[in-house]
Amino acid sequence: MKKALLIITAALLLLCLVPAVQAEDLSHIRAILEKIDAQSRFEGTDFSAVLTLIVEDPEEGIEKLVVRQFRRDDGERYLLLIQEPVTQKGQGYLLEGDNLWFYDPSSRQFAHTSLKETFQDSDVRNADFGSSSYASSYEVEGYFDGMLGNFEVYIIDLKAVDDTVPFPYATIWVTKDTNLVLKAEEYSLTRRLMRSALFPKYAKVGEAIIPVQMVFLDELVEGKKTQVSLSEISVAEIPDHVFTKAYIERVNR
Amino acid sequence: MFTLKVAFRNISRQRKRSFLLAGAIAFGMLVITIINALTGGLVGNIRENFSHALGGHVFITGREFNERGQVITKIRPDERLDQLLEENADRIQAFTKRSQALPSLIFGSKQTMHLVYGVDFHEEDKLLGSLVVTQGSLDQVLQAENAVILPLPAAERLGVEVGETILIKLETLTGQHNVGELVVAAFVEDQEQFGLSAAYVSRAYLNSLLGLGPHEYQMLNMFVTDLDVVEEFTRTFREGLLMPGEEQEEEEPNVTVSVGGVPLEPVPRQERITRWEGTRYRVMNINQIMEPVELAVGVLNRVGLVIFIILLLVTMVGITNTFRMILLERTREIGTMRAFGMHKSQVQQIFLWEAVLLGLVGCAAGLALSGLTILVVGNWPLNVDPSLQFFLQQGRITFRLSLNDLILNLVLVVLTSLLAAYWPARAAARLSPIKALSSHT
Repeated sequence: MKKALLIITAALLLLCLVPAVQAEDLSHIRAILEKIDAQSRFEGTDFSAVLTLIVEDPEEGIEKLVVRQFRRDDGERYLLLIQEPVTQKGQGYLLEGDNLWFYDPSSRQFAHTSLKETFQDSDVRNADFGSSSYASSYEVEGYFDGMLGNFEVYIIDLKAVDDTVPFPYATIWVTKDTNLVLKAEEYSLTRRLMRSALFPKYAKVGEAIIPVQMVFLDELVEGKKTQVSLSEISVAEIPDHVFTKAYIERVNR
Repeated sequence: MFTLKVAFRNISRQRKRSFLLAGAIAFGMLVITIINALTGGLVGNIRENFSHALGGHVFITGREFNERGQVITKIRPDERLDQLLEENADRIQAFTKRSQALPSLIFGSKQTMHLVYGVDFHEEDKLLGSLVVTQGSLDQVLQAENAVILPLPAAERLGVEVGETILIKLETLTGQHNVGELVVAAFVEDQEQFGLSAAYVSRAYLNSLLGLGPHEYQMLNMFVTDLDVVEEFTRTFREGLLMPGEEQEEEEPNVTVSVGGVPLEPVPRQERITRWEGTRYRVMNINQIMEPVELAVGVLNRVGLVIFIILLLVTMVGITNTFRMILLERTREIGTMRAFGMHKSQVQQIFLWEAVLLGLVGCAAGLALSGLTILVVGNWPLNVDPSLQFFLQQGRITFRLSLNDLILNLVLVVLTSLLAAYWPARAAARLSPIKALSSHT
């Protein structure tokens, strides 16, 4: 009888201890998420680059898009101006806080769009052009150690903090030593893999570390993927008027 | 009566001239009748096709705030609504409770966006009865929860076969991405002739993907037994579903129609949203949806009327000139008649009767021609773009002419003919018999 009581007490103690250990481990992972977000942000500097997107669609074929990006994380602003193909030249996306506007030079009108939407039928979402927000959007469900190629990584399972986050579940592969996201998988509410993203190459730009090569795979449509590469990267100050609707209209005149 | 007889004889005497004059009037009548009948038919077809496409004459949607302050469209089981349905059962022909989404349907490397209705197949036997199955069976939808009925064109675009599984990608009501699997149960003939092509899945399954409860839905659509009472019926539901303290919304049509790029709906008001508790209902009916369409058709009718009046004015000039010529030709004849005791007013009446008879003959010919045109065109099956099928009835143009329009056109023709003949008739009446008899013409 005494032995049984002892076993039960030990088991109960163990049960109490396990969540405490997990909580401690998860807080470490939460700190990693915060670091990831922090190092993806351009604090105190502006950022500009030319993005080349190669969109491979089994139905539509291969399309190349060249986009000039101006970004200012202070105030969550960015401007994307399409330079190629010629048919879409002049189209622009202007982010001002929570508002994202799309400008079409043929109609000379701005239309409200969303960060959740895909960019020009590619596999890149409009939100991908800004800084990441893992820490504020997700809570850690669990994690384990693993390897991705030659890199030691944490494989972290994330769950959206509320039902406003577009992807309810995600898994990220983060290097242990540098806190760089090498791979991300995004899942639907029914936990079906929707998109995979690979970030094979990073560069330190100012104080931030950002991926300069990205591959986004549509996991629902066979053979659909988008490769993104960054060039002409600069952290030079961008005039305020660039982040205005008037500027997009002016460059189209 | 005598003057009418003489007028008739005069018209018969100059057949070629009368034929040309009446022909001009007939052409005008043909144009306006066709325009009136065509627009009347269009409105009727659009109304009917809208009803089929939207699944009813009266539509109820519900909106509520969720915990995060987002407005979402859903109707929960509601006693007030059930009571209203029960109280008005005798005026409701049928009703459906549906959810809907515009998801991407994916099969392999192919995808297409398609309207999907979530329906309760056990309740919607009418729908199942109306679908024309080309492959597969509708029995499966009553058994498998995630079975889908696909319109044939959508199935062809995806390259899918009955029994295979496709993916459905959509957003929940709060904007989260979601993916489900659908087993293709059957292909059906496309209903694009009603202007909308939709796939059908179980409401419970679509609800689970949208983030709705199994007994919740997004639209309550009702077919009323009598379209004449649709306004009063709508009012009953609108008032019955008002929450305490809620003001009745001024409903605006949610369909925009533009003519030459100019929208015909009023400039949308800036919506001021104050948070409310519970579900707020919006009750719309087919007439509200038809308002902008009827406005556009009204513009078309007015344009047609202007063309008709221009044609009549041209004809009027022709009639005046012709009657002046007739006056010259018949000067001696008029003199003779006057010498034998005919009054001035009778001479004038003969001219006016001739104009009226010409107008009426022209109208009759125009109506007969338009009837013939309508008969031929109306029976011509058109294989046009699916988007244009919305204006047709079973692939054919239909014509509906209102009696009011017909009478208005007749009156206009007779009046303009009278007006055109008035001055030559007055001049004929004022001719001195002696001068007329000594005339060489």
